[in-house]
Amino acid sequence: MPDGSLLQLEEVSRIYGDEVKVHALDRVSMTIEAGEFVSIVGPSGSGKSTMLGLLGLLDLPTLGTMWVTGSSVRDLSDFERSRLRGDVVGFIFQQFHLIPHLDARRNVETALLYRNLSPTERRRRAMEALDIVGLAPRSDHRPVQLSGGEQQRVAIARAIVTEPKLLLADEPTGALDSTNAANVMQIFQELHSPLRAIAIVTHDPAVAATAQRRISMRDGRIVADEMLRSDGQPASYGGTMGDDGRGTLTAPEVEG
Amino acid sequence: MRSVLDLVGVAMSGLTSRFSRTLLIMLGPIIGVSAIVAAVGLTESAKGDLQADLAELGTNLITADAAGSFGAQNPTFPEDVIERVEALGGVQSVTGTLAVEGVITAPYDAAATYYTAFPTPVLTADANFLDVMQIELLSGRWLNARDYAVGARVAVIGIDIANEFNYRAGENRTLLLSGLEYGIIGVYDNVRLADSFNTSVLIPPLTADNDFDAGLETNTLYVRADPDRVVEVEDNLPVAINLGGSEEVNTSIPSDALEASAKADSTLQVIVASMGILALVVGGVGIANVMSISVIQRSAEIGIRRALGHGRGLIAWQFLLEAVAVGFFGGLAGVGVGVFIVVFASRIFDWTHVLDPILVIGSTEFPSHTMGLPTVYLLGMGAALITSIIAGLYPSVKAARLEPLETLRLG
Repeated sequence: MPDGSLLQLEEVSRIYGDEVKVHALDRVSMTIEAGEFVSIVGPSGSGKSTMLGLLGLLDLPTLGTMWVTGSSVRDLSDFERSRLRGDVVGFIFQQFHLIPHLDARRNVETALLYRNLSPTERRRRAMEALDIVGLAPRSDHRPVQLSGGEQQRVAIARAIVTEPKLLLADEPTGALDSTNAANVMQIFQELHSPLRAIAIVTHDPAVAATAQRRISMRDGRIVADEMLRSDGQPASYGGTMGDDGRGTLTAPEVEG
Repeated sequence: MRSVLDLVGVAMSGLTSRFSRTLLIMLGPIIGVSAIVAAVGLTESAKGDLQADLAELGTNLITADAAGSFGAQNPTFPEDVIERVEALGGVQSVTGTLAVEGVITAPYDAAATYYTAFPTPVLTADANFLDVMQIELLSGRWLNARDYAVGARVAVIGIDIANEFNYRAGENRTLLLSGLEYGIIGVYDNVRLADSFNTSVLIPPLTADNDFDAGLETNTLYVRADPDRVVEVEDNLPVAINLGGSEEVNTSIPSDALEASAKADSTLQVIVASMGILALVVGGVGIANVMSISVIQRSAEIGIRRALGHGRGLIAWQFLLEAVAVGFFGGLAGVGVGVFIVVFASRIFDWTHVLDPILVIGSTEFPSHTMGLPTVYLLGMGAALITSIIAGLYPSVKAARLEPLETLRLG
């Protein structure tokens, strides 16, 4: 049953294929509370991309139940699910995924379409969001005219302009050099607030260490879920999940 | 409402950002609609003058020729025929002529031999002639009461004869009718409904009788009937003329031939308009094709929009609207191009261009165009819109079905 969390997964499995079944997620249970800063780590094929699709409401669980702000996503129509996605989740992608033929401001405004806003209001909010990431002066530049770091900052502005409760980032620094990566992570730190949870899917330990909580995945299961100190080390011995999904006290794994 | 505006904005920016591609797929509707508009407009314009003439000349003129009884030579009507026809219900006005046989017309003596080989018809005409034919004098005067009463040697000539004899307006000249000098007193305008009059010489009946022993009867009547009773009058004419006698009367409506020629090219209209529709269909296939490829190329954009909370329906509408916009603006441009073709061709061929044709393919109504709502433009636009909607259906459904997870390449 929903317990008032922002996101809640209960025994969720995501199975691909009809004849040969691939369990991309295998009976995963977890919650993300409002205002949390979570990283989800794991090697390729661990199921973290599948998890991202589910958390972002782009995909549905094959088995099990997932609640987002109290609604079971399976009960929603495509329209309602899209609406909920637009309201609750702000996406940030590794490849930025800006729309190439629109300038920075219009890219940000795209997130505000179909919300019954006047063009003036939409523009004002978009400029506000661009200002937060420091790109207001370049609002009329198209993506090709911006550096990778700038494009990612536009993408962040687009993600926050709808004031979502969850920022969902997929390897946000994966396509950036170290300076820009640090810059982007700095922005994430600043954006984190009790009203805005952040979930970053990454395989970069440095990025994962920025978060307050680290969820480690392997073979479609959560193998560790631990709180981190400000230096990125586990606050205490966390539980490593056994096959029954129950925690057992073992040393935490650190993903590389 | 604002969502609709948002949608229009998104569709437009999608089109304008790929401007040359948009122009290319617009070519289909442009060619199709302009072909339809030009087909109808050109054929209407080509026969437009004819139709204007008909409207002016009227379609209510009936000709009655005396055919006589079997074997009779130079048959004529009874002398009181005009009074009796005038009394017939539905008749507005009547004029009678008699072809005067065996007269050689020449501008001067020395040309008599030539004009014997190429004779110019001489006819008698009464005072109603100009009125019934609905023509005017180009110069001079018509036969007057004195001419009729005394049998004056005066002649009114047709425009072609005037040109052939180099007769100038107002000139004092004579022509020779079998050697007798007749004064030319006037020239009348082109008689479109009976163009043999253009090469004719008209003289008073009494003069014809005096000089050529032609008799005072007539052998051809021209009758203007009430436009609503033309058929009835034509049917009743033979009886009114002969009172049931055995003489034959041939009646005809000269405007029928003109009308037929004005309508003859509706087949051409259908053929060219069909080619226009074919061009539209091919253009529609082009739109569907290019937009399907476009959907694949823009799959990332579609994924982004889905991730930003736009539902499948909005994605489908966006692409459908892009297709419809192509059809709409292409159709609009097509109407423009079609009108340009009609005006341009009309100028070259010296037609009066008809830009407001009501499309009445295969209609028996006449005239086939009237001033009013330009249906061809609306039909062309409608056809372009329908084609583009059908063409846009497949790409937009395809776009809506794309899975954002597959196009965004997460992880």
